[in-house]
Amino acid sequence: MATKRKAAKRPAAGRKAKRPATRHAISLATSSGQDAASRISALAEMPITGASEANLRAVLAVVNNTSEPIAVRLAALQTLQTASFSSAAFPAFRGNYIAALRALTQDPDRELRQRVLGFLAREKDGFAQKKLLDGLRDPAKALVPPEKALQLLSYDVHAEAYPIARAIVSKPPNPTARREALRLLAADAKAAPMFEKLLRDKDEAREIRQISAAALQATKPETLRKHAREIVLDPSEQDEIQATCLTALTQFGNTEVVAGDTALMKRIERLRGGKASNNVKRSARQFLTKYGR
Amino acid sequence: MKVEIEVNNSTDPKAQFVTWTPSPCRIRVTDPTGAAASTVNLRISATAAATGGEVVFRSGTSGAFSATLTLQVPTSGSTVPFFAAGRFGRASTRNGDATVQARMRTTSVGSSDVMVRIRKNANILTNDERDRFVAAFAQLNNQGAGRFSDFRLMHTDESSPQAHFAAAFLPWHRAYLLDLERELQAIDPSVALPYWRFDQPAPKLFSRDFFGVSDSLGTVQFSAGNPLRFWTTDGVQGINRRPFFNTSTGRPGVRTEAQTLALGGAGNLYRLFRNIEGNPHGTAHTSFGGSISSIGTAARDPLFFLLHCNVDRLWAKWQRQFGRSNPAQASAYDSNPANPVGHNLQDSMWPWNGIVGGDRPSTAPGGALAASPAVSAPGAQPRVQDCVDYQGSVSASGRLGFDYDDVPFA
Repeated sequence: MATKRKAAKRPAAGRKAKRPATRHAISLATSSGQDAASRISALAEMPITGASEANLRAVLAVVNNTSEPIAVRLAALQTLQTASFSSAAFPAFRGNYIAALRALTQDPDRELRQRVLGFLAREKDGFAQKKLLDGLRDPAKALVPPEKALQLLSYDVHAEAYPIARAIVSKPPNPTARREALRLLAADAKAAPMFEKLLRDKDEAREIRQISAAALQATKPETLRKHAREIVLDPSEQDEIQATCLTALTQFGNTEVVAGDTALMKRIERLRGGKASNNVKRSARQFLTKYGR
Repeated sequence: MKVEIEVNNSTDPKAQFVTWTPSPCRIRVTDPTGAAASTVNLRISATAAATGGEVVFRSGTSGAFSATLTLQVPTSGSTVPFFAAGRFGRASTRNGDATVQARMRTTSVGSSDVMVRIRKNANILTNDERDRFVAAFAQLNNQGAGRFSDFRLMHTDESSPQAHFAAAFLPWHRAYLLDLERELQAIDPSVALPYWRFDQPAPKLFSRDFFGVSDSLGTVQFSAGNPLRFWTTDGVQGINRRPFFNTSTGRPGVRTEAQTLALGGAGNLYRLFRNIEGNPHGTAHTSFGGSISSIGTAARDPLFFLLHCNVDRLWAKWQRQFGRSNPAQASAYDSNPANPVGHNLQDSMWPWNGIVGGDRPSTAPGGALAASPAVSAPGAQPRVQDCVDYQGSVSASGRLGFDYDDVPFA
């Protein structure tokens, strides 16, 4: 019992020891009279595990202040996000933080806006998701470029985003937006026929075909195995697509079926020793090692 | 004559792994043909390839290790115990690249292929080690349909107080990593979890053949032969990770290793060292945009586990440097009644304890902690105190079966 009482006193002593360091860091970080580099350094060095809710509010005030240098505001934002991983005061502060982040989605600085939307999207925040969807439907309302909006929406995929993603695939504002729309649709089983078509289209961009292979692997693995086999057997196929398909067959193939496929084995043995790219040879080697060849 | 060598007191091929920490072994005569007396003198030694693991021996629980050991073994079949360990600095690069051999005079009478399996800096893995690790990880996830989804669900906003903000931050994550590592080893026993040394550049880790290269949007790109190309979590394809530092030449703005090891202050106290949870741990997480920078999504990115492996390595190094492995020492842990549930030494840890509701989260994904064929600790439902003395320096039966390439046995 005596030991327990003694132990119970220790955290108080610990907090006392930490307070001056935290106070000093807060004072330096929030003082607009100090140079930006010193303030950023103070924010990084702040003993955040011992920070109080008031400390976190003081750091948030720096993020909110648009007259502060953007580098300091971004560093303050990183400090708060670090606190979300490590500060006992954070759970109580969380509501204020989320509310502040929502307001910051309208911030004039694009980088800060993007980071804030990222945090909210990862929290599956409905407010942020609506803003992102609104921006995709009406570019005048867009807070971030369409490819970033699609990427952020993918943190919490639900059917509401699918129609706009399909529309972007059909009429993309740029190739990256099309890629991110496809990535978002990868979870949609209804999109499997589209991914089959894209995978087999030799005129399609390599990255799009590879995304299609991964999408099929996730939603219709047997369908991918069928196409992967045909692609590996096709000498006119692109090396990179063959390597991707070989990787799928190696890591995720039905071992019994694949091991009994003599034509496939012979073809992969030829790829290992032939004129294929290093990527294909490496994938062929890995495949044959797995199957004891 | 023939003998049987049991590494980790087992003939199971999945138990033939050693670390820097001594493994209990035994030897027995299985065929005494040719033996003239009731006991024979056997010389135990190990052979290794040039880049392979090197094994050393000792007869008891204390004393120096040596390259050879002579044991008097009865021909009756009774076992004789001894200990084997990897020679510090000489880890294996592949399974069975070292052989423990027993000789009677010059004749080999038995052997066992072993691996000195050690957690290494991810940036220095051989290509083969890298490929095996990545393949095992991809298979564990199996596009989001595999066992890895449990690990995703263990690290969420709801479960965060079990794992963060208090004393058990380090032991909880040690158990979490060990659970994952054992699942990876069930797929490929030659795999050990590597660490991302975040205070140094790690260009090989951030390459298309390993954990990928982020484009300007933060979508991670992989080579065609990298199975992480098929990575899917929570129904979402790919990995979002936008570094705020140059991954080819730079590093995050985290505390250096020396600064981290000094966190315990003049008394080298755990309750101060625990500030590792902020910088470097939290700072390493938030040196990126993307999944890894929020608690609820961090474990979607496999880099999460290499980041935490380095946090665990730093704790191991601090424990070794300051003799802080005995959980009973007040300076080695920070138990006190003010700690939340799950953060005192005697507390069992969620989710492995299966307790839900009340002060614990509403679900307990994943079940018990994975067992190891080589060691018995920390058990299916570990307590905090079971994850402090990872080398079993206080109680040998408490060793957890892993070691780091730059932290010797205490």
